[in-house]
Amino acid sequence: MSHATRNTQHASRFTHHVSRFTYDVYLVGVGGQGVLTIGDLIAEAALRAAIPVSFYPTKGMAQRGGAVKARVRLGRETVGANIPEKGADLVIAMEVSEALKAMRFVKPGGDFVLYGHVWPPTAVMLGKAPYPELEQVLEQVREAGAVVHYLDPERVPLYEGAPVPANIFVLGAALDGTGLDELLDPAAVQELVRTRWSKGAEQNTLAFEAGLKAMKNDQ
Amino acid sequence: MITGNEAIVLGALRAGVKVAAGYPGTPSSGALSSLLKMDLDDGRHVEWSTNEKVALEIATGAAWAGQRALCTMKMSGVNVSYDSLISVAYSGFRGSLVVYVADDPGTSAGMCEQDSRGFAIMSDMPMLEPASVAEAYKLVQVAFDLSERTGTPVFVRLVTAISNSHAPVAVEEPVPPAEREMILERDITKYTKAGAAICTAQHRDLIARLEKAGEIIREMGLNQLQLAQNAGGLGLIASGVVAAYLDEGFEIAARYGLDPDAVSVLRIVATHPFPVEEVRELLGHCDTILVLEELEPHIERGVIVEAHRLGFQDRIVGKLDGGQSVTGLSRVGEYGVEQVVQGIGQALDLPIPDDLFRGKVEAESLAAQRPITCCAGCPHRGTYMAINQALKALKLKKDDVMVTGDIGCTILGMNPPFYTIWNEISMGASVSLAQGYVYAGIQTPVIATIGDSTFFHAGIPGLVNAVQHQVDMTLIIMDNGWTAMTGMQVNPGTAEPFQQPGSHRVDIARLVEGLGVEHFFVIDPFQLDESAATIQNGLTLPGVKVVLSRQECAIQAQRRGLKAGAVRVIAENCNLCKLCITRTGCPAIGLGDETIVIDPALCYGCGLCAQVCNREAVEREAVS
Repeated sequence: MSHATRNTQHASRFTHHVSRFTYDVYLVGVGGQGVLTIGDLIAEAALRAAIPVSFYPTKGMAQRGGAVKARVRLGRETVGANIPEKGADLVIAMEVSEALKAMRFVKPGGDFVLYGHVWPPTAVMLGKAPYPELEQVLEQVREAGAVVHYLDPERVPLYEGAPVPANIFVLGAALDGTGLDELLDPAAVQELVRTRWSKGAEQNTLAFEAGLKAMKNDQ
Repeated sequence: MITGNEAIVLGALRAGVKVAAGYPGTPSSGALSSLLKMDLDDGRHVEWSTNEKVALEIATGAAWAGQRALCTMKMSGVNVSYDSLISVAYSGFRGSLVVYVADDPGTSAGMCEQDSRGFAIMSDMPMLEPASVAEAYKLVQVAFDLSERTGTPVFVRLVTAISNSHAPVAVEEPVPPAEREMILERDITKYTKAGAAICTAQHRDLIARLEKAGEIIREMGLNQLQLAQNAGGLGLIASGVVAAYLDEGFEIAARYGLDPDAVSVLRIVATHPFPVEEVRELLGHCDTILVLEELEPHIERGVIVEAHRLGFQDRIVGKLDGGQSVTGLSRVGEYGVEQVVQGIGQALDLPIPDDLFRGKVEAESLAAQRPITCCAGCPHRGTYMAINQALKALKLKKDDVMVTGDIGCTILGMNPPFYTIWNEISMGASVSLAQGYVYAGIQTPVIATIGDSTFFHAGIPGLVNAVQHQVDMTLIIMDNGWTAMTGMQVNPGTAEPFQQPGSHRVDIARLVEGLGVEHFFVIDPFQLDESAATIQNGLTLPGVKVVLSRQECAIQAQRRGLKAGAVRVIAENCNLCKLCITRTGCPAIGLGDETIVIDPALCYGCGLCAQVCNREAVEREAVS
């Protein structure tokens, strides 16, 4: 019996469960960066597009400055919330050092969006502990067999003199050139971003659009 | 989209729950928190109780009066409530009591990685384990029915990956608490434990109730057995959350030669009572059994017993099958698709590569450590600094002075830059643990530290004991007015305006005085020198000393737009000595090019940095 036949048989038994396309997103960053909001927006956009979704945020104990992570699993009707190692189609890392904690989850051949923000813990700030070099982190992504999409924090545009929310910028970037835009229509996500908060529609739209363009300029 | 925690309370509302009580604890807190936010005015009662035992007893009273009651807690909370819970299980009742417990395999939030299924076994309580958020919503309703039909409390157990994850669920309208008959049943053989005859009869009744629950569970078909067409293949048993990973695991294993249609599957949703019939049927049909369950091998042991009774001679793959080194199935941590695929590979000798799920773990070792620390403006910071300063003034080394710790944000004093706190056992343990150190003969002062909610929860009996026995120790109660670590729940000491309507604040100061503590001091942790002097003085006095360190949690205060002060850097005085950072570890302070910089959005204005600066480079102004 060939693998293909087996897969067909499998599908015959679990037809109602198997969707046409599954996609897993692993997010990491530091509390206060809006990492969980990115996950929440992806989940909400999927829900609106009638794609089955599971969203599992984990924040540390500290309000700010602690490590946070989230997993979004798209396309399976029945699914556990955890993504296995080497299972994430897309990693979104909002902080350079925290990106290292997501390395084991990226799928070889998957996409790795790295926002180059550095948030040094106190010991690093005092010169008592090391902090990884950006190039070191990028090398790890390459060794993991993933495609790097590096986002320079300098590219976050200003709105009325202040930087727009970086997380929305990163979300925009993640919707261009990764596999995510095959599931979610960037225009629909942009509309969700615009209408999500009563205040800040303009600056959020600006952030999202700048993110969408950021990748193109990099390549 | 709702969370697993929300699914529990929404399901309870749909089941017409009348009374819901609990104590916060990650990962269960979201359940009652979301219920309280709904501001229900349809004849229900919802509350955060003083501790889990109190909550359970309140829910029990309501159930014994014939109503539907829900009690919520984390796994450690079951330990606290269990003295009552097992007694309630032995008694039985005519109402309906559902105990929601959230276990934390993989310990995302700290505390023991314990498996609460063991409690269900010890008290012969049925336990339902949903595999998903949607199933949690349905099964909590089933649990209420099951409890009512059998007269026994029923556990609903979730794990963090369900309680804290969000998924779309079709939620139906809540059902108002039904006009149930109020029951006042006087039956000492059922509701007391006075005498061997009563207790023995209750044990028999308990066993009979569990058997009845098993019959109902079978009738309902809660545990789903799907036998493959041909006998002699693999029989897979999946319990609780593991079932959610089966489809994905089968898809992956199929790439390595698995024929999913040849696998018989038993999905165990009701993990207690043990599903004997279904397991025996599976054993009769298959020649290899794979048991996939997180944490302890409870089901696996049951399967082995049934296999023995049936004379089943073939393989049973799980945690007991040569240990983790052979099966890769561990008693530690979560189960996911990895365990499903590797377990199947092990059971069927499929060529599944060892590194299929082995990512670049070593990358993590390059990451900067991010020890959890106090928030900017956290009043606990001032208390740790004051303790350290007092010890220094007494010429005591920190490594010579025992400072016991307790559960909640107050434990953060174990971390840099404070290194004040030594240990953490369970709610309230710091107070009594300190007494043991004193009796052991430690010559240096012994200090206990505890937060306000933890003190109310289980710290008071320890203090009563210290006062009774006149133990030479100092208790520092760090009162920030909220149960902060778990997400800012109200506790008995929370300020009056934030209490639920009709509730009343209990003042720790009056409580301590009422206990007859001779040396009692109140300090403001934002006044470093005064606080340190008070603690220093206390440490030199004989007998029980209590220091109440009072300031509201800065996160909560800032949510209401409050600031304790305004702090600014006097640039010409700052020489970047970093003393303010090394002493306070405050996340609002960073390094600029020539001076330190204070993030005005983060800074609460506590002024501790200004008080440690010896160059007058940081200035604090009070705000009116």
